[in-house]
Amino acid sequence: MSEFDVIVVGAGPAGASAAIRLASNKVNVLLVDRADPPGSKNVSGGVLWGDSLSQVIPDWEKSNMLERYVEAKGVTFLTKDSKISIDFRSKKFGEYKSGYTVLRTKFDAWLAKKAKDAGAMVVSGVTVDKLAMKDGKVIGVEQSGETITSDSVILAEGANSRVAYDSGIKKKPEDQKIALGVKEVIKLPEKTITERFGLTSPKMGFASEYVLGFLDGGVKAGGFLYTNRESISIGAVISMGDLRKNNQTYSFNVIEQFKDHPFIAPLIQDGRVEEYSAHLVPEGGMSVDSVYGNGYMIAGDTAGLTFSNGLVLQGMNYAVVSGILAADSFMERKSKGGDMNFENYQKNLENTFVLRDMNNFRGLDQVTWSESIHSTIPAIAEDAMLNIFSENGNPKKHLSQIVISSALKQKDKRKDLAVDLYRMLRRM
Amino acid sequence: MIKIEDRLSLLNYKIDKSYEHITINPSICETCPDHFCTFACPAKCYTLIDEKLNFKYEDCVECGTCDTACSHGSVAWTNTKGGHGVKYKFG
Repeated sequence: MSEFDVIVVGAGPAGASAAIRLASNKVNVLLVDRADPPGSKNVSGGVLWGDSLSQVIPDWEKSNMLERYVEAKGVTFLTKDSKISIDFRSKKFGEYKSGYTVLRTKFDAWLAKKAKDAGAMVVSGVTVDKLAMKDGKVIGVEQSGETITSDSVILAEGANSRVAYDSGIKKKPEDQKIALGVKEVIKLPEKTITERFGLTSPKMGFASEYVLGFLDGGVKAGGFLYTNRESISIGAVISMGDLRKNNQTYSFNVIEQFKDHPFIAPLIQDGRVEEYSAHLVPEGGMSVDSVYGNGYMIAGDTAGLTFSNGLVLQGMNYAVVSGILAADSFMERKSKGGDMNFENYQKNLENTFVLRDMNNFRGLDQVTWSESIHSTIPAIAEDAMLNIFSENGNPKKHLSQIVISSALKQKDKRKDLAVDLYRMLRRM
Repeated sequence: MIKIEDRLSLLNYKIDKSYEHITINPSICETCPDHFCTFACPAKCYTLIDEKLNFKYEDCVECGTCDTACSHGSVAWTNTKGGHGVKYKFG
């Protein structure tokens, strides 16, 4: 007889969602987090996109743990001197769900409390060392030489997946499967943020992703800037492969270059940096050979369930859905008295956007981290815009002529551009 | 630009004096051709002092970057224990 039906390792959106789902269905569940309070080592951008959380917390949108609702979404290219951006704002974000900005320490502690309220046992400040195995089956977890037993384990420990590595169920990531996220939280008055970003109320927020095409040494990185109630979350997601190739740029300085850009600096002016943080970001889809095995399932960042196409950066919503499905898959098996080898979890994931997105957009990271996106296209756009929006006394040209002549200036890169555009059309 | 030292000083840590959760193998670092860890680590835990690699675990934010960054097998990475290590206010 096991001590628990399920042990969930990691109190982030994946683990907490799984625990809430299980506990609400009278499953005997232990949620264990190595941070104390739970969630206080968790970091993300972060916008929680979509409405997946309503499956476990129906009134989650009423929570005062949410910062601002995204009514303005940006996608921006930054070159050394210019900013080229889409700033999409819509009243229809009332009916079409966008997302809420969140600060994870507060938000994740709240999720863990929801799990506790639902009946889960929540333990914090306890580090699981690895999965406990017997006869090729996971029978619980090991912690300081002791085994805590359970019928199954849901592993949701995040991108830096030590338990998975040390249990031999996940290989350490190659450079192209991981990026480094570096972030700062910058304090500003609520009113200043609302005014500065042209927001319609203090409850409404702005979220933008950036292509940082101007960094020293050609390091490739994406940027993000999200408005919280009384702070701004700003950060850079740096390609590990490029940083290695470059080998002279300090990761912690990339975010400062972003902040110092002439069109970013005014947005954070007079703000006080309150916190600095860093976290790994899984890239390029699933990062494990299998999301399940005998007696365990893998959810969220640990499984590499994140999505980025340059226009959006998403992870928490995939985490929530995978956590809920892992819980459901356990209950499915339990009710049928079947074994604890969870191929039903894999199938359940395949039936949702989670694995469909991973499959449909496989290889997209080759585009998002390409030279074309980070330098060629921004250079063409900048040159074309300068031609279109300036007056130099010469007769005006047709738009197509301008774009072609701007593109021709990038002639060394035309072949790469053609390949990347083809990939983009196919995979985006 | 804010110095990394000043940014790190904003953070709360519960430092475990009895357990270094990351250790390095100095003999590997001595012959390392790239010292990529010094550029990759976002908390500047790895520095070169007189061309010798110096590592301090106390400022670590537990991201795991160095374990991926070091391609020479010098870094032995484990989780902090007992709720020790970095403790974010915002995350």
